[in-house]
Amino acid sequence: MTSVAALLVFLTAAAGTADASATPTSTPTATATPLDLGALVARARALHLADDPGWLRLGKWRRTLLGGRESQVDGREFFLAKDGKHDPAAELEATLAGFLDGRPRATELDDPACRFPARLLFLGERLGFDRSRLPPRACPKLDDYLDRVRPKGVTFVFSSYYLNNPASAFGHTLLRLDKTGEARTGKDAELLDYGVDYAATVDTGNALLYAAKGLLGFFKGEFKHYAYYYKVRQYGDYESRDLLEYELELSPGEVALLAAHVWEMGGTFLRYWYLDENCSYHVLAAIEAAAPRLDLLRYVGPRVVLPSETVQALFRNPGLVRAVHYRPSIRTQFEARVRGLDRAEAALVERLESEPGASLPAGLAPDRQAAVLDAAVDLLDLRNARALLMGKDPAAALRRQALLVRRAALPVQSPPLAIADRPELRPENGHRTLRLGAGGGVAREAGAFTQVDLRLALHDLGDPPEGYPPFAQIEFVPLRLRLYTDDRRVELDDVSIVEVTSLSPVNRFDLRPSWRMRAGATTVRDAGCDRCVAGAAELGGGFTAARLLGALDLLALAETELLYSPRLSGTDGRGVRAGLGPSAIARVRAGTAATFLAEARWRWYPAAAPESGYQLTAGVRLHAGRNLSLALEGRRTPEDDEVSATVFGYF
Amino acid sequence: MKRLALVAAVALFALPAVAQSRQTQSAIRGSGTYGTAGCGLGSLAFGNTPGAVQIFAATTNGLFGTQTFGITTGTSNCGPGLFAIGTKNFVEANREALAKDISRGAGEAIGALTVINACEDSSRVGAALQKNFGAIFPSDQVSNDDVTKVILETLHGDATLGCGRG
Repeated sequence: MTSVAALLVFLTAAAGTADASATPTSTPTATATPLDLGALVARARALHLADDPGWLRLGKWRRTLLGGRESQVDGREFFLAKDGKHDPAAELEATLAGFLDGRPRATELDDPACRFPARLLFLGERLGFDRSRLPPRACPKLDDYLDRVRPKGVTFVFSSYYLNNPASAFGHTLLRLDKTGEARTGKDAELLDYGVDYAATVDTGNALLYAAKGLLGFFKGEFKHYAYYYKVRQYGDYESRDLLEYELELSPGEVALLAAHVWEMGGTFLRYWYLDENCSYHVLAAIEAAAPRLDLLRYVGPRVVLPSETVQALFRNPGLVRAVHYRPSIRTQFEARVRGLDRAEAALVERLESEPGASLPAGLAPDRQAAVLDAAVDLLDLRNARALLMGKDPAAALRRQALLVRRAALPVQSPPLAIADRPELRPENGHRTLRLGAGGGVAREAGAFTQVDLRLALHDLGDPPEGYPPFAQIEFVPLRLRLYTDDRRVELDDVSIVEVTSLSPVNRFDLRPSWRMRAGATTVRDAGCDRCVAGAAELGGGFTAARLLGALDLLALAETELLYSPRLSGTDGRGVRAGLGPSAIARVRAGTAATFLAEARWRWYPAAAPESGYQLTAGVRLHAGRNLSLALEGRRTPEDDEVSATVFGYF
Repeated sequence: MKRLALVAAVALFALPAVAQSRQTQSAIRGSGTYGTAGCGLGSLAFGNTPGAVQIFAATTNGLFGTQTFGITTGTSNCGPGLFAIGTKNFVEANREALAKDISRGAGEAIGALTVINACEDSSRVGAALQKNFGAIFPSDQVSNDDVTKVILETLHGDATLGCGRG
């Protein structure tokens, strides 16, 4: 397909763009008169095209504090004008000049018409010229890309939280360019569609540098596209993350513009910022650029952008999400398979995973044998995903092969696995990410107090449950301040930079440990010092039993903690105090209406005074809808007992 | 239906030649290696590890690559050029899942192969591949090339499956 034909197809599609403010395109005159740069520039100025959101979003120009504009794009090749990064008008005019310049270029990408097909679509549509009136040129790489992706639709994909990797803790988002208009009708072709995402190019293996560079914008962020099946393998199989696929309602012109925009973005880079201009931010920005009628970025951030928020932003545009599909991870698939087996069959699954040759009961029907073997292979994959992929466990590979051979010998084709959709896991059904609380209480010794609670993000074990994974707690800067009325004292009750609790309920097939960590500061409530504020770091590991007696989740941990304050009488009398001891958390959820949460911890402080300490908390949170809660809590420490009530709102 | 499938196959054949893709002066640069992905933070690089791990590296190499339609010249020695490259790429990236689905005679990977090879019915394709599992995956060490070869022979050698002719 020649470049002219490809772009003509695109222009025809783009003519259907739902853009209410589009100027009527002038019909090409009978004689294809060459375009006049001066006339085009004049028309662009008259239309204030350089201030049009469609133009600004394609170039990622944002308002600066001083009122000017700056593009978020950092690659120099993205700008044709000398100060294109700060001057969208100059960039627009330089682009027009580039389009009209028919001189041969050294490489394809030196030709603006090949490098900037999205700009061509936009300017062509608004200024009423079509491709045929530009000097002819060939863009083989662009053609190749367009032919490969050929999108008819776009799906927004969210992969669920993965606490074992801090970078994935909050989920990930990407776009899938669908080759069929309705994703489900081309069901078998979904794996062959192309995925697009924005990711940092990591050039360090050092974990600290990795964190620092990610947070401080020292990684290059780039748009990449790849066959969607890579992502399914990676997320679904290797990382056991469920995928949620949101089919978007975009016009053919918008879909074409998105593909062209991704091409333009792919040819440059941006600085990657883990907190705000991260993967999920730029995926949303790309949709906004392709469909200027949508407003998405205004619903996220500004300081921290979370993938779940970007999903919520989609739903603030009624009609944008046409359908939602749930693609369960291998772990979810395995659990579904096991639910379809009886006890004896489940025991067989366990045996087969380690002994592929184990004999099956004579009376077991072939379709039941198939079900058992299918579950056994999934279990083996679940337990050995990484090792198998890296080729590090030849024994596991042999066992897998043996199971597969055995399964293939049964002339039974496995029926499709029926996995119920889990709307309660969808981020769009979750509470908003910023939490503010206000309330008060009374302490036996210290008297009455008012308290203010703030949390930047995201979710704890007691928050309204919908839309979040049930066994994860991730908090970004949870802060609680108190004002004691009697002595007018302001106290920092507790604050963390980050707090993560990852519960992995154990069952016969899964014995992964649970863990908890946090780094922050707290008011010491024992004899170690007189209510001083100490820096605190805690780390613990243990096990979780979930849904005991139907509704009780129980976590038992062994924890270590480190406190520091100059005023603290700690280990050997110094300001640092090490602590060690058990903790337990119990939670009962009464549907989505209420959550009961209790925690007990006991610490031994070797070589310190006091020698030990404890804290008991218990409370109930009553949820009124998803974004409002009332918390009633009691706490007991060596120094004091207190009760409090707080109203939480989620924004 | 068959013509539609063929058109789909033509549209799909330009899948990038992955793991062996050269670091080309491609239109859109992909750089660095790529491990278990976080929210865009790529994660610790695998470096130049060989073997199955290239499944990840492939996502950054040769993406907006310079593969031209020379693919029709059938550079693969697996068989009919058109379906061969597509099947080979798919096998390389999905080997583990594919083996599992073939043993089950059903699954998304079977569906994908059906589309890649312009066959008529994924259920019949699944049954045929399942029956031939032993030849396709005689051991866990068999090469991707050999797997691809036997898959192509199974699909295109059986007229009842109605798979496209290369």
